[in-house]
Amino acid sequence: MHIPDGYLSPETCGVMGAAMVPAWMTAGRHVRKVVTSRYVPLLALGAAYSFLVMMFNVPVPDGTTAHAVGAVLIAILLGPWAAVVAVSCALGIQALFFGDGGVLAFGANCFNMAFVMPMVGYAVYKIGTRNLSLTAPRRAVVAGVAGYVGLNAAALCAATEIGLQPSLFHTANGTPLYSPFHLSQSIPAMALAHLTVAGTVELVLTAGVIAYLQRANLPVLRINHPGVREDDSTAMAPRRLGWRWGAASLGLAALLTPVGLLASGSAFGEDSPEHLNLHKYHLQTVPNGLAHYAGFWHHALFNGYDFSNDRHPALGYIASAFVGMAAITVVVFAVLALVGVVRRRHSSSDSAVDSVRA
Amino acid sequence: MTDASPTATPDWLIRPELGLCPCGCIGKRAKADFVEKTIGSASNLMRQSMFSDDVSARDGLLQRVDARVKLVGLLALLVSSALAHSPVVLIGLYSLSLGLASASRLSLRFFVARVWLFIPIFTGIVVLPATFSFITHGHIVVPLGSWFGTRVGLTQQGLTAAGLIVLRVATSISLVVLVTITTSWPRLLAALRALLVPRMFILVIGMAYRYLFHLLGSVSDMFTARKARTVGSDANTKRDRAFVAASAGALFGRAHALSEEVHMAMVSRGYRGNVGTLASARLRATDFAFGAGALLVTLTAIGVDHVVR
Repeated sequence: MHIPDGYLSPETCGVMGAAMVPAWMTAGRHVRKVVTSRYVPLLALGAAYSFLVMMFNVPVPDGTTAHAVGAVLIAILLGPWAAVVAVSCALGIQALFFGDGGVLAFGANCFNMAFVMPMVGYAVYKIGTRNLSLTAPRRAVVAGVAGYVGLNAAALCAATEIGLQPSLFHTANGTPLYSPFHLSQSIPAMALAHLTVAGTVELVLTAGVIAYLQRANLPVLRINHPGVREDDSTAMAPRRLGWRWGAASLGLAALLTPVGLLASGSAFGEDSPEHLNLHKYHLQTVPNGLAHYAGFWHHALFNGYDFSNDRHPALGYIASAFVGMAAITVVVFAVLALVGVVRRRHSSSDSAVDSVRA
Repeated sequence: MTDASPTATPDWLIRPELGLCPCGCIGKRAKADFVEKTIGSASNLMRQSMFSDDVSARDGLLQRVDARVKLVGLLALLVSSALAHSPVVLIGLYSLSLGLASASRLSLRFFVARVWLFIPIFTGIVVLPATFSFITHGHIVVPLGSWFGTRVGLTQQGLTAAGLIVLRVATSISLVVLVTITTSWPRLLAALRALLVPRMFILVIGMAYRYLFHLLGSVSDMFTARKARTVGSDANTKRDRAFVAASAGALFGRAHALSEEVHMAMVSRGYRGNVGTLASARLRATDFAFGAGALLVTLTAIGVDHVVR
């Protein structure tokens, strides 16, 4: 994902570099506050480690190997802002010393791999490991998923930067001046590579390292996890998500539903017979069976999500939505009540059997 | 590469060896597995750093120029090659880099090979599809038949774009290689500091570079030990991946322990969170001349590009 010089226009490089300046400044401030005078050696070794992690060849099933970026791993081990500094420094050494990744494109590479990747990955990790103990097996799995998501977010950013070039920078006769691939080509190409192989490698390495440290070197894992309990023996019962959260998210989903109206066209396979494009299928009339069964049920309360008289279409649409949701809620509660009744009857018969045995 | 100063690394040490199959029959190359690849990239890294240390110690044109001036000149030339729309200007800039390389006593064969072995593999394959009319629409110059009634082939626009990008990548990489290989790492860091990169970043990069090679030794040791323990071919991918993850985890443990030791050593030597830097050397007349030359070339390149375009 290291973009070399020549693929991006100098304007893009300038914008991406400028975007990284506040990120670097904030990272410097955060890191200094958290680890005081210790931060320099810790970050230096973190940067050296980040450089070396990119060098580890991870075996892929078909016999070839691929390497990971490791930015999410460093964010989990040292914190996201420390990862911004450490990965930027590693990328700097690569660009200046080993010619891997461009010097002008340094800002863009840092934005993708040293900012977006650790931040997105760490957010996923934080959300996924709430209330988990330090040694919980799920923590390693969540870390792997965070690595996968972070890498793909970074790849999406890189694909967007590359894909914007031909639309923004071309000559009068359409010759692209920098990367020649449009967004419609660069995003699928990068997504295919990163959703399959590269993402899996990142997942395997991140999850594997966290699982290893949980087994073998817990103090190192504690650097960025102060106050997280070690195991589940002293844990309280996991807090269940309240019904308010469920109601709020369902309400949000209901509010967002009309967004679908913005899409043009109709859903595939849902045309009514009179709207069918018969010509396309080389037909003269609607087939008999279709015509018969399409009008089989005439008693719908809100035909076409509307009142039958079609006078207030918007009101009808909203009313049908409310009635629909209410009907689903009633059905769900009825099923839950039924299940409850059956379970209670089952357990009471079990206890009756037990008392007879006793 | 021919001058043998007493401090230079011997030639045989930085020459890559052929990867032969274990039975010793010449000419057959076994496909390297992940262990060999990692050991190979580790030794490659060390070889590269030894080689550039040697080159930066030679007495050539670019080695005599101040690192700050070189860095500023590099940025200016990179911007001019990025702004150039005409292949003529890019070819001119590339020839300039070849001239500078030979004036800096770099082997031209190495310099050309380093850039042109990399470009066809990475840039070439990436850019190749863009020459077809599917991707870059335009005037078809090499027709390749028709596809569902539309003519397909290589377009003039696609070929020009591919040529431009390959030339630009080659020129940029040549310029970067030229500057980084003729400048010793401490001077490069001092130059970055002079160009207003924050002190914390300089300190972190400098220490990271120093301990990078220390940790690289650990990686080499771990993988060499693994290779020594393996009899026959190793085909259990799942176990191999667990080994790689455990090695990376163990490496982090070592890096952290090392950072604690380094911190204690720094504190015991009086470190309180502030760093002092040595006063940087004063610029000489040759530095000013080189800087002016780089600026002149940059402006000429941009000017010529506007005329030719």
